[in-house]
This record gives sequence, C-alpha cells and structure tokens, in this order.
Amino acid sequence: MLQNQVTAPFNPKPSTVMHLDLNSCFATIEQQANPNFRGKPVVVAAYPTDNGCIIAPSTEAKRIGIKVGMRVREGKALYPKLIVLPPDPWKYRFVNRKLLHLLQEYSPKISVKSIDEMVLDFQNTPYLSKGVINLACKIKKRVKKEIGSFLTVSIGIAPNRFLAKTASLLHKPDGLDEINLQNFQEIYKKLRVEQLCGIKTGNGVRLNSAGIFTAFDMYQATVAKLKSAFCSILGYYWYLRLRGYEIDEIEFARKSYGQSYALYKPLTVETGITKILCKLVEKMGTRLRCAGYSAKGIHVACRYSDYSFWHHGQTLLQRIYASNDLYRAAVKVLFSSPIKKPVRLLAVSCFNLEKNRNYQLTLLPQEEKRRSLTLALDAITNKFGDFTVFPAIMMGTEDKVPDRVAFGGIKE
Amino acid sequence: MLEKIQESVSVELVFNSQTKKIFPRHLAWRGKTYQIDKVGLHHFFRQGRTLFHVFSVLSGGLFFRLKLNTDNLHWTLEEIAEN
Repeated sequence: MLQNQVTAPFNPKPSTVMHLDLNSCFATIEQQANPNFRGKPVVVAAYPTDNGCIIAPSTEAKRIGIKVGMRVREGKALYPKLIVLPPDPWKYRFVNRKLLHLLQEYSPKISVKSIDEMVLDFQNTPYLSKGVINLACKIKKRVKKEIGSFLTVSIGIAPNRFLAKTASLLHKPDGLDEINLQNFQEIYKKLRVEQLCGIKTGNGVRLNSAGIFTAFDMYQATVAKLKSAFCSILGYYWYLRLRGYEIDEIEFARKSYGQSYALYKPLTVETGITKILCKLVEKMGTRLRCAGYSAKGIHVACRYSDYSFWHHGQTLLQRIYASNDLYRAAVKVLFSSPIKKPVRLLAVSCFNLEKNRNYQLTLLPQEEKRRSLTLALDAITNKFGDFTVFPAIMMGTEDKVPDRVAFGGIKE
Repeated sequence: MLEKIQESVSVELVFNSQTKKIFPRHLAWRGKTYQIDKVGLHHFFRQGRTLFHVFSVLSGGLFFRLKLNTDNLHWTLEEIAEN
C-alpha cells in the first residue's frame, strides 16, 4: 500500500485556519439577554420540567458538575436553585447570524459548522500579514462590543481545521491558543487520545490496545500502525490530521430532510401518533420545497416505550414534493411496522433528493392543480408564518413539535 | 421566577441619530411606569413576512421581554421576571 510508505514531518505552513466557538452558547445568550442571570448557574433544557434534557449549561453550571444530556432533576439535585430555561431558537439564530456577518469582514472562506462554531481560513487574505493572533484578539473585542458584552468565544489557530478545533478546546471559556510547528509536541504530550475530537471510547480502546495513549504517541505512530489500530483508511487520515495537513475541508451535500420529536406521553396509532407524523411531515415538506427539492424516498423511525427500535425506508416510483403526498407515503411506512407498542420518539425523513429544475408537463389536469395548490399554500406560509393553513388531522398539536435548533451544521 | 404575560404595553422608544442607536426608555404597564436601565439583548425575527423586534430589558432589577410588531407598531409585554 502506497499510503503505508508515507512519512511526513509536521506541516511547516503558517497557521491560517481559525476555529471559533461561542462558549456555552445557548446559556450565555440567555445570560446576555437577562443580566440578572449572569454569574449564576443557568441551563437551557429541551423542556423545563424535571424530566427535560439539559442541552446547554452555563459556565457556572458546568463548574458545579452539570453537563449536557443530564435531566433537569439531576441538575437540581446538584444545585437546587438552578435556573432552568426553555430554548429560544430565534435568539440563538440571531447571534449566530451576527457573528457570521462580523467574521465575513475578515475572510470570504468561512464555514458555519454549527450554531456556535465557525471556521475561517485566512489563506490569501490581506489580514494574514497582520498576524492571526492579533486578528483573534480583535475579533474577541468586537464580539463583546457589537454582539454582547457577556459573550465570550474560544479561538483556536492552526495550519488545519482539526488542529484549530483542538486548540479552541484547550482553554475554555474565552481561550486563545495556537498549535504550530513550534509547540505541537508539548501540547500533544498533555492530550489523551480520547480528548481529540472524533475519538471516544471505541476508538480510544482500539488505540490503547495498540500502545497509543496520548496524541504524541499517535503522532509518532507510523501510517501502517494507525491503519491497523483503526482497521481502516481512517488511520491514514489521522496521520495527516495530526501533522497539520488539511483533509477536513469538505462541505457535504444535502442528502435528506428530516424531522423528529420525542413525545412526552407515548402514543399509538389509535391515540394519535399520525397527528404528530403529519406535523413532522408538514415541517419537512416546507423545508424540502423551500430548498427546491423533490424526494424519491421516505423513511420512518420509531423508538417505543420499552426502548425497542424500528425503522424502515421506502424508495418511491415517482418523485414527490407536496406535503399530503409525503404524509401518505410516511403513513404507509409507519403502518407497515410489525410493532404496535406506544411510540416515544418518532422521526421521518425523505431521501433520494432531486433538484426541481424543469417540471415535466403533465397531461393530467389534477396534477397541475396539485402543483398550484402547493405553491399557493407555501405562499401563505411565507406571508403569514408556519401552520397558518394546516391539515385537519393536525388539530390539537399546537404545543407539539416546537421549533428547535438542530445539532450539527446549519444548512438553511 | 419567569412569568408569561402576553399583554399589550406602552413603550417609549428613543432613536439617537448621532450614534444610530435605539433605546426603549420607559414602559408603562398596569398603571405603573418603569424606567429602563439596561438592554440585555435586542434581536429580531420574522414570522411569515412580519418582522418582530424583541428587547430583553432590565428596570430596577425586574426583567421585561418586550416585542414590537413592525406591521402595526404595537408592543407586547411577553415575559417578566424578578431578580
């Protein structure tokens, strides 16, 4: 194998990549909005009830051991006066957009990795000559002045994206670190492999069994050793990543649109699960059409009250875009489930996306009517907001499937 | 303790042409006038085509969330919280 013969030193290229992470994003934005919450343990939870899942603890809450994924009950057991807030997605999207506008002044090459993470590449920009560290200090000051005085960002600088992210995690909150040719060995020696983004228990065990415990051990390993530890090409990618070579500059194309909802009270077909499915499909369909796609596949997944799981996808003969067609296809898949237990988590997605470039003219007048009706309904949604007109089956779901910020990248 | 209100409210909003900044100065609610000391966050969002501006403000330790509907320029007090 050619890759096994590769030996490369650490990339001598200057640090041109900057990774920014808005510290404790949702919770800090809430503390920014309400100054009374500053300096106090605050969490944003999916639901503020005892069983609600904590999705963002503030720096103060993290200090007393409250973590993402804990139940509100567990957080309150650690700190009874814990302030618990429901999510306010528009507030977080607003800060994300403001941060993006601010950063766009510095580089045209910017990727929004998630609601609180952005990556800038300063290569071939005039700002590079001023020094990336100086730029980082300036950006930190501008975030405080122009977006919110209580907001802090951790910034990492390195020759590639992975090391820039690693650098941004070294000191939190409000950190500023660089990983480069001069200091990488010292930093790697202090980092356990599990502390690297992308390596958790499974990969950690694989590496440990190959005698690799720290990032420095991993750096010193040959390509062949890493490939045998990972049992895949991933070993080669890690070899390059740790040497500062860029292999993560990939923007993945959209492959599906989906929505999911965890039910407070598990439901069956008889008690109204199809209402929830309809609302999920309405949201998914609006996003699909807004992006100009049709789908030729539908997938439904259910987690039941006993935590068993079932999912099924179906490829369709024709591409569909109208919410009622998507709903009909999704219901068909849901009804094909052999499990009839109450559903605790319902997810629906559509796949095999095709861009709507040229519509095939049809001889069937009802198809033209359907197309016009869908366009009219979307125009009403655009003018008056979501669910101004909705299917009758959705009655009684006003407080279900609320607006949420998805984990991962922001694609729309 | 956060309390949802959703009531119409009177707000005095000032625009400074020198600094290009806006500031809600007073709000009057249930027969009482509150002087606004600090704006924590001012953000906006769209519901359909209607643009809403939201001001999260403090008045003497009390937190108010004020929403301005830019279609009819009506203000709503959405939430109130004590320190």
